[in-house]
Amino acid sequence: MFMKILDRLEEILIATLMALATVIIFIAVAHRYLLGVSWLYPILFPINLSWAQELCIFMFVWVAKFGAAYGVRTGIHVGVDVVVNQLKPPWRNIVITFGLLCGAFFTFVIGTMGAKFVYGLMYTDQVTPDLEIPSWFVYLCIPLGSYLMCFRFLQVAYSYWRTGELPHHDASHVEGIDLDEPPPVVRGVAQ
Amino acid sequence: MSSAFIFGLLIVFMLTGMPISIALGLTVLTFIFTMTEIPTESVALKLFTGIDNFEIMAIPFFILAGNFLTHGGVARRMINFATSMVGHWYGGLGLAGVMACALFAAISGSSPATVIAIGSIMLPAMVAQGFPKRFGAGVITTSGALGILIPPSIVMVIYCVATGGSIALDPSGHRVSSASVGQMFMAGVIPGLMLATLLGVTTFYRAWKNDYPRLPKATFAERVTAFRKCVWGLLLIVIVLGGIYAGLFTPTEAAAVSAVYAFVIAVFVYRDMSLKDVPKVLLGSANMSAMILYIITNAVLFSFLMANENIPQQITSWITSIGVNWVVFLLIVNIVLLAAGNFMEASSIVLIMAPILFPVAVSLGIHPVHLGILMVVNMEVGMCHPPVGLNLYVASGIAKMGITELTVAVWPWLMTMLIFLVMVTYIPEISLWLPRMLGML
Repeated sequence: MFMKILDRLEEILIATLMALATVIIFIAVAHRYLLGVSWLYPILFPINLSWAQELCIFMFVWVAKFGAAYGVRTGIHVGVDVVVNQLKPPWRNIVITFGLLCGAFFTFVIGTMGAKFVYGLMYTDQVTPDLEIPSWFVYLCIPLGSYLMCFRFLQVAYSYWRTGELPHHDASHVEGIDLDEPPPVVRGVAQ
Repeated sequence: MSSAFIFGLLIVFMLTGMPISIALGLTVLTFIFTMTEIPTESVALKLFTGIDNFEIMAIPFFILAGNFLTHGGVARRMINFATSMVGHWYGGLGLAGVMACALFAAISGSSPATVIAIGSIMLPAMVAQGFPKRFGAGVITTSGALGILIPPSIVMVIYCVATGGSIALDPSGHRVSSASVGQMFMAGVIPGLMLATLLGVTTFYRAWKNDYPRLPKATFAERVTAFRKCVWGLLLIVIVLGGIYAGLFTPTEAAAVSAVYAFVIAVFVYRDMSLKDVPKVLLGSANMSAMILYIITNAVLFSFLMANENIPQQITSWITSIGVNWVVFLLIVNIVLLAAGNFMEASSIVLIMAPILFPVAVSLGIHPVHLGILMVVNMEVGMCHPPVGLNLYVASGIAKMGITELTVAVWPWLMTMLIFLVMVTYIPEISLWLPRMLGML
């Protein structure tokens, strides 16, 4: 139950941030050009969108950190598997498990470094240049995202140990293409 | 000494099959904790500031735009248009396959997705019309890789990001700034069209020699209808290139505008997807973007470490001291990149190799844009040959052919690509002419 909520939260967070960042930058660009329209000028001029770029960057950094954790679950982080695939079972399992645990170790260390960094920032009044929100809040994505990623690595390692299966990302799936269905006839071919 | 240690460690970590981003990060951590005095706080800061850059954000936006239009419906429109234009020539459907791949790959930005989308429709049609299966598979596998050369290309943005912070001096000692995204996109146009043409010529020649079937010539009205149906997708390229060139937007803004445009086209004009499919596209794009941004974060750490240890400078002075000129250097670059293409995918190779190659290349008088295009063409070749050529695996799935058989099948087109690679390497004007004519260099 808790896991399901966590999974959903993670997905909703990154998809929403992705959509918002796109809309914000689009609005900022549209705003810049609509300012040139004389009758819109008095309405649009008071609106200041200079913070849009900064907000977009922060949103994408958050997407990067939490999306990376989601990516461990979906198996999108690929490595060099040429050698590993040549190994025989006991060694192959050991090497793969080692790789996953290294991932967990790395993200744990990074998370801890980030946590210390954020903790240090909380005692300062440092704010971001344009939005003027507290810096520690923005940097919070490093410890949170990294610890979540660490947890995901351990989760994948556990399920690998239990079932011998790794999550696998299908890079070649295309909507609207059904590979089992006979393909539609291309113009001219049927004649 | 330290450079040998760094690269040795990186290779050992990578060979265990762990994600490349983690391998890069762990190498940096190990080195920092054991061999240097760099404060760890600066590392924590780099984790954030490494991607704290508006230019990088073009990557997620382009991924999103591409994913909205990576749909079977868009592929069918492209195929119809291509078939109506070139179907009556020798190699009819094969030529149409090259053209459809070029168009679809340019807007979807994903090579394997192009191979699936175009291949799963084109291959059975070609077989039904009497083409040998290996001919079709060869065409689609290689043409599918055109996407990273024809702008908008994510690999090009990655190249610009990877070389962004480097300090590079030309032979006369002046500082040379790295290529901008706009320059790279414009520079990619001519090589992209050229490679598509060359692949088409190879297809035409082989079809002509073996007398493969042709299609009846489409009428003018049919061509216009087909064009009108696919033009909405193609306008995306025009918006991005035109917008950047005319100075209407920065590359990142162009990417965001193209993402919104792609959404409107996919949902309201083509109606290939409904509003309730949008969250899935967003999630998929966020997943892909985060993966690339995560590699970038760690690659930035890695190049920070290399810069700190003066490794690019050491390599530069070593290369100049042994008297390697640019001709030999580029030969070595090609061999190294083709070899790397055997193990890793494109974005990781560019992120790791570009910061090292860039200062050396510039010190030998090679233009940053030229180096970038050369790297991209190399990445394209790497997608089409074993052991990791992603296109090859995807194509083997839809063509139901083994990898070995398919490797033989792609050979004529792969040779064409290699010849083109030599041309791009030694004729810089292929890459530099258009941006220079447009006054962007």
